[in-house]
Amino acid sequence: MVAGGSALAQSAPVPEAPWPALPPNLPSWLDNKKTNHLFRKRGDYNYDVYKIPALARDLNAVTVGHALAYEDLVTGKESRLETQTYNRINTVLKNPPKFMPDEALISPTFGRKYGVLEQVFDWTHILHDQTIDVLANTRMSNALKDAEIEKLWRFYSESVPYAITSLPMNMDMLDSQPYSKAFRKKYPKTNGLFWGYHWLQGAMYDGLYSLTPAQQKASYEVMGRRYHATELYKTDRSFMPMFSELSPRFALRFPHIANAFDNLHMLHDMVNDILATDGMSEAEKERQIKRAIWLVSAQAHQGEKPGENNSGEHDHRHLDGMPGMGMMPRSDSGTMWMDGMGWMRTAECHHCSMPLAKGENAWRSPQVWAAGTTMRVRCALCARDMSAETKGEAILRIPLESTDKTLVIFADDMGQLTTLDKDVVFIEEPASHVKCHEWSKAFSNRAAFEAWAKDKPEYKDAKLISFDEWKELYGDKPDTYEKPEAPAGMSAPEKEGEE
Amino acid sequence: MKTLSRRAFMAAALALTLNLLPLNIAAAHETDCPYCKQPVTQDTPTQDNEVVLKYGRKRIEYKCVYCALAEAKTEYANGDISIAAPSEKKGEPVIVKRTGGNWSATPSTAVFVAQTPIKHRSCQVTARAFRTKGAADSYIKANNLKSQPISLSQLVSLAK
Repeated sequence: MVAGGSALAQSAPVPEAPWPALPPNLPSWLDNKKTNHLFRKRGDYNYDVYKIPALARDLNAVTVGHALAYEDLVTGKESRLETQTYNRINTVLKNPPKFMPDEALISPTFGRKYGVLEQVFDWTHILHDQTIDVLANTRMSNALKDAEIEKLWRFYSESVPYAITSLPMNMDMLDSQPYSKAFRKKYPKTNGLFWGYHWLQGAMYDGLYSLTPAQQKASYEVMGRRYHATELYKTDRSFMPMFSELSPRFALRFPHIANAFDNLHMLHDMVNDILATDGMSEAEKERQIKRAIWLVSAQAHQGEKPGENNSGEHDHRHLDGMPGMGMMPRSDSGTMWMDGMGWMRTAECHHCSMPLAKGENAWRSPQVWAAGTTMRVRCALCARDMSAETKGEAILRIPLESTDKTLVIFADDMGQLTTLDKDVVFIEEPASHVKCHEWSKAFSNRAAFEAWAKDKPEYKDAKLISFDEWKELYGDKPDTYEKPEAPAGMSAPEKEGEE
Repeated sequence: MKTLSRRAFMAAALALTLNLLPLNIAAAHETDCPYCKQPVTQDTPTQDNEVVLKYGRKRIEYKCVYCALAEAKTEYANGDISIAAPSEKKGEPVIVKRTGGNWSATPSTAVFVAQTPIKHRSCQVTARAFRTKGAADSYIKANNLKSQPISLSQLVSLAK
């Protein structure tokens, strides 16, 4: 018996129906028992995450946390998962190792038993690691980084069969298996840690993307504080953190990568649930894990396209304006439930309800990182005022005149705004929010504004204001704001975290 | 130099304008109360409901004055705060301040109603501010509340 459950733990329900059958004619690599060692694509950016030491160490600790928990689950020690093992993991998280540990040494039994699964995990973790290394590199231009990330994606998807699908998957379907939710019900604290890791692995991308090294380090000081103080210990999330909710800009630029990461994280959840389910034999657990790998594998979805609405496991619709996110348990095509924020329309500004920039202009939408999520807004004013209306520290990321320049503004607990970018200038001449993206803008400096405005006569008399002037402003309640309603037939959780 | 002076003047003018603005500028987005997690009841054309706590540049919305005071004593225990609590008169909130640790309310005739135990599904009805005791008495009677008007210091002690 792998998951006997502790006396304190809540028993997972034993489904009456038979377990889902394995699809026929599965590829032979799913039965591979060999220990394959997968390694990174060559690149002089490898391990550049150590240029942001606090982030590097926190990611090292994540590896330990996952491995310790898995080893307990497959060695009959699951009864201590929420107590001794949780405390051991927490100690590591609070004292993260300087170097990346070898997971195989921490969870040898799990590795022997579920070798292919470990290789699937490893392969996508390598993609995680290398994309972060590229973003943390201090020599490459943003354009070169984008190109290298695409090369890493090709390397990932073409080198071995272990790639996860880049298609948006229907998360409600994946989380509605007969065994689903067993782990989070039985081990809520440990599940909270796992979802905290997923939060970090999602949030860090927009904390690095298109930012200078100084902006990246300063951003992680704030994000790391939130990760350690709150995100690791949340047990009231209604779903795992999703990549596009945390790093919408990277997800818009690389939706295939965002989807693969979410699908990997969902595979983690499915495996956790299978291992935590009572009344499932050892052999059945192996079958269900094999099936779960297959469900999210790239090979199972060959020839399918994002946006297609085939049924069940081949539903690849995504939310409006968010190609890097599949359909969610509480969503229709354009509205979804976000813990702490309520119903949100995904293609609209969260502050003024006006449509966000789309297509090749999508990068122009500023964002507000606050309260553990990243909200896309339409203009600099919307970002500033939304941060003032949200509790706690915030980071405002406001794209400037070109894709490679982003203004980063930090808001402390009192909402006081600071920035490293002292030369930045703004225009803000309030009118209806119908056109707020035109009357509220930011530029690197006066010269950048003048170059941008020289063929735009409507900005001839625009008044430029400094950061110190702009940060003291506070706009009226937007005239265009409309409260998003729940989609037909859907309702909010009774309280956060409830299913 | 001329530009700098103009900038300094503008910053000072903006800061002054900001401080003179009424405190009942509600948050743009509708949200859940950070304290009781219930949806913040929105203002109507005839009655204000949204309570706004101002802490530095933060303007956080709450469902009732009790919720805002409870967080002022915990989450925002340090520093000065202002709370704009809707009163019986639309557009004329009672302003509760904590300055240097001392609480005050404007107008000085303000009283509060807080029917205990506070039920947060309806706290926007059972915990409110009033500009006069007479207005509070009328409200208690009209809403059939089992409560008496209380002072700010009594409400501060109650909120936790």
